[in-house]
Amino acid sequence: MQVAPSPFLLQTMRLLLLVCAGAGVMEATAFSPPALTSPRQWAPLPADEAEPIVRSRAPSDTRAPIKYPLPPIDPTKVDAPTPMDIRQSIAVPDRWRIIDSLGFKFPWYDPYNHNVWKGDKPFAPFAKWLDGKNNDWFLALSVISDSLIETRRLPTPVGAQSSARADVNNVFGRGNQTAFVETIILSAAVIKGNTTFRPPDYEFRFAPAFQINHARIQEVRGLNVDPRQGTRRTDQHFGVQELFADVHLRNVSDYYDFDSLRVGIQPFISDFRGFVFQDVPFGVRLFGNRDNNFWQYNIGYFRRLEKDTNSGLNDLSQKMRRDHLFVANVYRQDFPLVGHTTQATIIHNINRESGPDYYDRNGFLIRPAVIGDARPRNYAVTYVGLSGDGHFGRWNLTSSFYGAFGTDERHPIAQRAQTIRAGFAAAEISRDFSWLRFRGNALVASGDKNPFDGRATGFDAIFENPQFAGADTSFFIRQAVPLIGGGGVALSQRNGVLPSLRSSKDQGQSNFVNPGLTLIGIGADADLTPRVRLLTNLSMLNFIHTSSLSVLRNQNITSRNLGIDFSAGVQIRPVMSQNIVLNISAATLLPGKALKQLYDEGKRGPQYSVLINLVLAY
Amino acid sequence: MMRAKLFTTVVVGGLMLIACSGGGGGNDAAVCQNNCTPPAAATDVLTIADVERVISQAAAEASARNQRASIAVVDRVGNVLAVYRMSGAATTFRITSGRGVSGGLENIDILPDTHAAITKAITGAYLSSNGNAFSSRTASQIVQEHFNPRELNQPSGPLYGVQFSQLPCSDLMRRASDGTVGPKRSPLGLAADPGGLPLYKNNRLVGGVGVIADGIYGLDLDTTNVDQSVDELIAVAATNGFAAPDDIRGNRITADGRTFRYVDAETLLSNPAQAPALATISGALIPVGGYFDGTIRAGTSFGSTASGYRAAATGDASLLVAQNAFVLVDAANNNRYTSRAGTDGLMTLLEATTIISEAIKVANRTRAQIRRPLNTQAQVSVSVVDTNGNVLVIARTPDAPIFGTDVSLQKARTVLLFSHPNAATEIAALPNITYLGAGGNPVAGARTFAQTITATRTFFNDPAMLSNGIAFANRAIGNIARPYFPDGMIGTSAGPLSSPINSWSPFNVGLQLDLSYNAIIAAATSPTGDTAAGAVGCTGLARVKNGIQIFAGAVPIYRGTQLVGAIGVSGDGVDQDDLIAFLGLHIAGVALNTGIGNAPKHLRADNLTPQGLGSRLRYVQCPVAPFINGNEQNVCEGL
Repeated sequence: MQVAPSPFLLQTMRLLLLVCAGAGVMEATAFSPPALTSPRQWAPLPADEAEPIVRSRAPSDTRAPIKYPLPPIDPTKVDAPTPMDIRQSIAVPDRWRIIDSLGFKFPWYDPYNHNVWKGDKPFAPFAKWLDGKNNDWFLALSVISDSLIETRRLPTPVGAQSSARADVNNVFGRGNQTAFVETIILSAAVIKGNTTFRPPDYEFRFAPAFQINHARIQEVRGLNVDPRQGTRRTDQHFGVQELFADVHLRNVSDYYDFDSLRVGIQPFISDFRGFVFQDVPFGVRLFGNRDNNFWQYNIGYFRRLEKDTNSGLNDLSQKMRRDHLFVANVYRQDFPLVGHTTQATIIHNINRESGPDYYDRNGFLIRPAVIGDARPRNYAVTYVGLSGDGHFGRWNLTSSFYGAFGTDERHPIAQRAQTIRAGFAAAEISRDFSWLRFRGNALVASGDKNPFDGRATGFDAIFENPQFAGADTSFFIRQAVPLIGGGGVALSQRNGVLPSLRSSKDQGQSNFVNPGLTLIGIGADADLTPRVRLLTNLSMLNFIHTSSLSVLRNQNITSRNLGIDFSAGVQIRPVMSQNIVLNISAATLLPGKALKQLYDEGKRGPQYSVLINLVLAY
Repeated sequence: MMRAKLFTTVVVGGLMLIACSGGGGGNDAAVCQNNCTPPAAATDVLTIADVERVISQAAAEASARNQRASIAVVDRVGNVLAVYRMSGAATTFRITSGRGVSGGLENIDILPDTHAAITKAITGAYLSSNGNAFSSRTASQIVQEHFNPRELNQPSGPLYGVQFSQLPCSDLMRRASDGTVGPKRSPLGLAADPGGLPLYKNNRLVGGVGVIADGIYGLDLDTTNVDQSVDELIAVAATNGFAAPDDIRGNRITADGRTFRYVDAETLLSNPAQAPALATISGALIPVGGYFDGTIRAGTSFGSTASGYRAAATGDASLLVAQNAFVLVDAANNNRYTSRAGTDGLMTLLEATTIISEAIKVANRTRAQIRRPLNTQAQVSVSVVDTNGNVLVIARTPDAPIFGTDVSLQKARTVLLFSHPNAATEIAALPNITYLGAGGNPVAGARTFAQTITATRTFFNDPAMLSNGIAFANRAIGNIARPYFPDGMIGTSAGPLSSPINSWSPFNVGLQLDLSYNAIIAAATSPTGDTAAGAVGCTGLARVKNGIQIFAGAVPIYRGTQLVGAIGVSGDGVDQDDLIAFLGLHIAGVALNTGIGNAPKHLRADNLTPQGLGSRLRYVQCPVAPFINGNEQNVCEGL
């Protein structure tokens, strides 16, 4: 079993992107100019014989309007007009520093105001080193600390050949687990360009991440294949989450519609909610827009990087995976109606990992997954998707529809080639009532009815990170639950909604022979104060076909009722920004009959998790 | 509270079963989801014509491959129906794991080809049932140091050691001189060399076929590739018309999510349906002393007196009759192991009978791990012995695989031996053995038994180990009888009962083989198939006459802190074996209220942590979702 205490890393990465978004065009949040030292420079000179200022009364007030007559001008109190104000003639290094010349001074570390380290102002040495004349090179630095404490109860197997305690006579052991994770993400971007309205000419970005994690469970052989490693594990990893160069190829219209090429380790998301792919792979991506940004497109090739097992960060010390993505997508704004963006996408995923066995850092065989005959395999699958995000009037709607078509050269259960035909649909509808947002969620991922036939009809993603139905607040999406007694695969993956029976979301291969899932849920988000948001979510989960589970356990799983996932969380932003965010959430999975058939739910009580997550961003 | 609740559940469950079976005239139809009483119809036997067809189909494929094969056909209970050697076939074979080691049975090349063929045929028949079809390739997958083989750091195969069962020296196994009564002994135990397959008629197991053509008696070290084993391809051709139903083959059955290998390749060069008649093939039936007299004969109908297995009936223990159990009988239809009290005076007849019937009851509601369709009851053999190793009673559910008959007794006796305070003394006193190698010449490498005991005591850092009354369940014995300790962890040294990894193979496992080594060699090289005229027993130890077994499924029986016997179970899954032995004994103890039951917790071997953290021995492990009806979990908790 893996207990990869991967933190809110993707959330953090998104935050990073947000913080760094278009450095140089940093939004001026909460900007308030300091008091002027010389009001005379700014005081309007009333014209001679000016009209009095008139203030009308309320409509119901029938009295005459109030008049404030202006005093006569006293020439002795007024400076004579100066034809050339000396202040306006002082040379400033560039247009971004005009405000400096006006006397605005901020501490160098102040990220809320113009800051040379945050890409608000050009970084002078770059101009000297790189260009010599064009002073439009920016440097944007940021650092994020993501701290996580997570405690949970998950089904945990007793070590096969050794147990943590005497008098342990069953497969299911004690399931309390705790994880402590600290991740530091640095980001440095070098950007060239007059960037207020037009896209930058070049961008180079490097985002390393360092994580230290510590996990405690109650049974041996859960954290490491070796029972002698005990019930605690401390691990650390240095990963590279972004390392790319972005070249602005050309502008194609007066609206700065453009084509741009980005090469290197870069984030990519398949759709609005990350149902099929959201990761930071190596890639080459041509992207841009047209028609005043009404159309956007991406054409890309990506190759997945190996992940560090316990941190989930990219591991550049290992060879890149033999897993390739070819992507083409297009976004259309205001389609079909104003306020709604529609995306069409094709993703072709080729996996050629039938090579040597691959073991993760904890010593478990990950590729091929240890199910069926566990013989190595390749597959190729094409995802065709249509997604939307936006609102119709006051109704917000996000939706995704995918079909997956392809071939699995040899599935380990059927032990024959499989034709992949699987489908996925998800939609979230919501409506805001002042400080309250009510959400309704529905999701269907097709399942496989007959694991032994030549058709694989269970939907699986490439690398899902669904922002849906409570996302990482929800238990089922957040937690990885091993299919104990059913091989080296998990019933659900960390930060994943699909019960795709993979060895690992991060490192395993896709598996299109799985039970599938339906999710129907409701939720509410309440902005109790500008600093405090309350999130709640309730989802009913059902398998579609349990036959694949039944085969792996050699047990007839007669029920499809997975359970009810209930979660609640509170998000606190003490300074009303994303710079300090505290998330506290609790989630439980009230077991349905299928879960009771699979795990010792009745003996231990339901699975749950409690998270405390503090994100500090600079 | 939890214990009390569980206890209630278990007892009530047991009572309900009694109630059901009492009212329904025997078979508890509610929990019996397979054909628990297979009709012994006359069509479910191999006829002489069938046997001839199997052989000729094999020979035709062998010819098409330019191979010369030796072929054996047996019925379900191991009666050798034919042994046929094609002209030009090698008359000997070499035992080798391919691991490049020596010692044990490795490299022995002086045994007749017919022994390999018979052993492989018996393997196909004995490991299979009406609910599962396993082959000798399946056996290979489950007897190696990792499961799956080559999956790094995984524990050993679930049936590690089963290759040394059904031995020719076993007191339980029958000989050719016993007529058609089974279960018949096997010259070399069970085979891991691909080329042994079960035979079916009308979806019922009727026997097995074994082929050797390549002269090598080995195993499949790498289950990730697809072998082109000529032995297996010839055997596949032989099974044409008698092939196992697709749905019950090993490759449809999982243990911990892993399916079993059945056969690797099935593309034949011949058309078995058009195989020439046996008479037209160049070859001959070969008499094999102690196994086959040279004349093709028909198989027995399983479940008939002639097969040595039949339903418990009037005259047998009524508790067993009520549970629809089967018993072992002799040619005169007498129960070979009628319930009796312990010969040591430590267990009463009622106790022995109650223990076995409660175990069978548990089995009747336990979900099988290695059987299809899903959620059919576990089919097992159960043996209860006294402290002298004498059988008090043996019974089984109707469709239990035959191999478990001997194995259940081996397991019971093994836990008895190791839990007995005389274990160290008696084992250490055994005479030294010498391994043979190529040409039958002696090779070095065998430890003395005294060395094994010393190694064990050093391992546990306890000079009294194996004489201090620790209660060893067979799972715990297995823990210390593996080439790595903890089991499967590469880079560790071997458990004290195992040979070290650099000389280890499934043909050289350490103490288990050593105890029976001389008897196995003597029987295999004897023209009569026997160790000596009329000699019975494999080990020289009275408590373990049929050799020891080193995988889970047996617990010692105690009265208070006194060892009074043991119960062993073998059949549809090792965790199920543990459950049926452990829980069956517990329930019987509660029902009897005579102080009998499982070992006191403080005596159990799972208190031992010989190498510190992560080295604790296991006692038993009851399976996930063990029962067919209901979703109870962790049913052995706190017992």
